[in-house]
Amino acid sequence: MAAGGGRCLLAVALAAAWISGSAAAASSSAEQAGGSHKSIKCMPCSRPYIGDAYLHDTMTGQLAQRRDLVEMSDSGELCKGLADDVEVPVLSKLRRQLVGEGSHRRLVYSMDFGACEGAMINFLDGYDAHLVIFEKLPDGVFADPFELQHFVERKVFVDVAVFGDTNLELPTALSNRSSVEIHFDLRLIISTNCSLVIDMPLHARYPPLDASGYATVEFGNPDLLLRYRKKEIHSDSCLWVTKNLKAAPLEKATWRIPCGDEAHIGFVSSITFLSALVCSMSIVLAALIF
Amino acid sequence: MASAAAVTLRRVVLVSAALRLALVVFGEWQDAHLEVRYTDVDYLVFSDAAASVAAGGSPFARATYRYSPILAFLLLPNSLLHAAWGKLLFSAADLLVGLFIDTILELRGIPEKMRMWSVIAWLFNPFTFTIGTRGNCEPIVCAVMLWILICLMKGRVLQAAFWYGLIVHFRIYPIIYAIPFVIVLGKGYAGPVGRPTLTMWRSKQQLQNDKVSQKEDPTSFLATVWGFLSNSISRNVILFGLLSGSMFFAWAGVFFYLYGWDFLNEALLYHLTRTDPRHNFSIYFYHIYLHHQQGFSSIQRLASFLPQLVVQLALILRFSRDLPFCMFLQTVAFVAFNKVMTAQYFVWFFCLLPLILPWSSMKLKWKGLACMVVWMGSQLHWLMWAYLLELKGRNVFVQLWVAGLMFLAANTFVMLMVMKHHKYIPLFLSPVKSGNKVATKKEE
Repeated sequence: MAAGGGRCLLAVALAAAWISGSAAAASSSAEQAGGSHKSIKCMPCSRPYIGDAYLHDTMTGQLAQRRDLVEMSDSGELCKGLADDVEVPVLSKLRRQLVGEGSHRRLVYSMDFGACEGAMINFLDGYDAHLVIFEKLPDGVFADPFELQHFVERKVFVDVAVFGDTNLELPTALSNRSSVEIHFDLRLIISTNCSLVIDMPLHARYPPLDASGYATVEFGNPDLLLRYRKKEIHSDSCLWVTKNLKAAPLEKATWRIPCGDEAHIGFVSSITFLSALVCSMSIVLAALIF
Repeated sequence: MASAAAVTLRRVVLVSAALRLALVVFGEWQDAHLEVRYTDVDYLVFSDAAASVAAGGSPFARATYRYSPILAFLLLPNSLLHAAWGKLLFSAADLLVGLFIDTILELRGIPEKMRMWSVIAWLFNPFTFTIGTRGNCEPIVCAVMLWILICLMKGRVLQAAFWYGLIVHFRIYPIIYAIPFVIVLGKGYAGPVGRPTLTMWRSKQQLQNDKVSQKEDPTSFLATVWGFLSNSISRNVILFGLLSGSMFFAWAGVFFYLYGWDFLNEALLYHLTRTDPRHNFSIYFYHIYLHHQQGFSSIQRLASFLPQLVVQLALILRFSRDLPFCMFLQTVAFVAFNKVMTAQYFVWFFCLLPLILPWSSMKLKWKGLACMVVWMGSQLHWLMWAYLLELKGRNVFVQLWVAGLMFLAANTFVMLMVMKHHKYIPLFLSPVKSGNKVATKKEE
C-alpha cells in the first residue's frame, strides 16, 4: 500500500500526464500501472469494458487516454452517492507469475480477499461484482482473443476483451502492442474461501534478431479493479462503479524468447538456395534418366 | 464376384464412416471437457466466418479467414444446425475420395483385391482420417481433384473444366496441373466417338510377356515441346481452357462484387505473396525470418521461385501423359519446394498415391519401407527440434533449419525412388496408336 504523501504526488503526476493527453510508454519495463488517477469511477452499463477508455494508437503502438470518456466517467454527478457507505472487498494478497516454458505461457494471478465470511457475503448479496484485470502486454507478446473466448464459453470468465494488435501471425518488429481485459465473477470465490487463481494464456511473437540469441520481455504492473453495481437495476440508470484495488507492486515477470541471429544470414541463405538447387537438379536429372 | 467385391467395398466404407463419426463425437467431447482441443484451429476460423455470413456479414470479418467464401457458405449449417456439420461434410468428402480411388482403378482394370488395398491405404491412414474429423477442409479438394480425373477418363471434358475452374478458385495450388491437362487433352485424347481410350493395368507377368509395352518410354523433352505446340490446339483443349478459365474468373468476379478487396487480398493474393517467418517444414522459413526486418531483393525472390519452376516444368514435360503419376510427382515437389509447408498439405499427394501404386515395382520390403522410414523419420526429427524451440524455448533455429533441409532431401529421395520404380504408361491411348497388341478399354 502506498503511503498517503506518496499517493498525493502520484495523483498530481498522473493528472499532469492526463492533461497533456499523452501516455509515457518508452519501454514496457518503464510503464506505470493504470491510467486512472482517482480510485472510484463510474461507467454506464452500455460500456462493457474498461479498455474502451484507452485509445490504442496503432501508428505508435502507444496507449493514450480518451479524454472525453474519462471526463464523463469521472463526473461527480454520475458517481454521486453510488460509492457512499459501501463496504467493498479488499485485496489482502496478490501474486503474479509467468508460468510455463517456450512460446506459450500463462500469466497466473493468485489473489486473496479479506473478510470472507462476513463482509464479502454481505456485499455480494446486494451487488453484482466483477474483478477486472487489465494487463497491458509488452511488445512481443500477444493474447489470442478466440482462445480467451473459450474461457467465457466454459464460464471460467464472465467476459474477456483484447485491445490493440490482435494479428496472431506477425513478428514483433511488424506488430503493435495489445492489452487484455478479463472480468471474473466474484461470486465464484465464496466456495474457495475468497481465494482465486486466474490464468491468462499468452503467446510470444518472433522477436527482432539479436546476437545474444534471446530477447527479454518484461511485464509492467496490471490494473486491478473491482466493478460492481446494485442487483436491482433500472436500465436507464444502470451504472458500474469501478474501484481500483490497491496492491503492492508485483515482482517482475520476465519472458526470455529465442530469436534469430543476423550473423547467420550469410550461410543460411546461401545454403538454403544451394540445397534447393541441388535437390531440384537431382529431380530433373532423374526425370531424364528414369 | 462383382457383388462380393461390392459388399467388401461397402463394408470398408461403412467401417470407415463409423470410425469418422466416432472421432467427430469424441472431438466434440474433448473440446468441451479438456484443455487441449481436438478440433483444428482452422475449423474455428471457418465456423466463425460462416457465422458472420449467417448474420449477413462478410466471412473476411473473421481474422485469418483466407479461403473462398464458398467454404463459409458450405458451413452455414454450423450456425443453423450443429457446430459439427463441417466436420461431417469433410469426413464425407474423405470417404468419397476412397470411392473415387476405387472407381479410377477399376476403370483401368485393376483387380478387386489390389483396389481394396489401395482404398484401405487411404481410408485407414491415420493421417487422413484425423484430418477431416479435426475439421480440415483438404478432403474436399482431394475429392474434387479425383472427380476431375474421373471426368477426364470418361471423356466428360466440360464437366472436368467446370470442376477445375472451381477448385482452382477454392485452393489455387491445382493450377500446377493446368499444363498436363492441356497436354493430355490435345489431339490424341479422344477417338472418333469422343471418348478416350484408357490404358489398362497389366500384371508383372503380362508385362514381361508383352515386349511392346516394355518399350513405352516417357516422352523426350524436345518431343514433348514439339508435341505440345503442334497438338495443343484441339477442340477439347479450347473448351477446357475457356470453361475452366471462365469459371475461375466468374467466381472471383462474384465474390469481388460481394466482398471487394478483402476477398482478393485474403483469399487470393495472400497465398501468392505469403512469406511466413514462423517455423514450418519449408527450408525457407529461417531465411525469411532472418530477412523479415529488411525485406527481400528481387534476386532473392526469383532464386526461391526458380527451383520450383524448373522441377515443375521438367516433370510436366517428361511425365504428363501418365497423368496420375505426373500429378503425384508435381504435388510432392510443389509442397517440398514451397516457401511455407504445413502438414495439411501432405494430403494433397496422399490421395494420388493409391493411383500410382499398381504401376510401381517397389515392394514394401524393403524399398517401400525405406521410403516411409526416411520420410517419416526426417519429419519426426524436424518435429523434435520444433518442440524444443516452441515448447521448451531453446534457441535451436539452426538445428531446426538443418532438419528442414534434411526433410527436403527425404522428399527428393522418395521422389527419385518412386520415379525409378514406376512403370510409365500414358493414361490415354492415342487413337492413331491403337493397334492389335495394345489393350482396349473394357466394356462396363
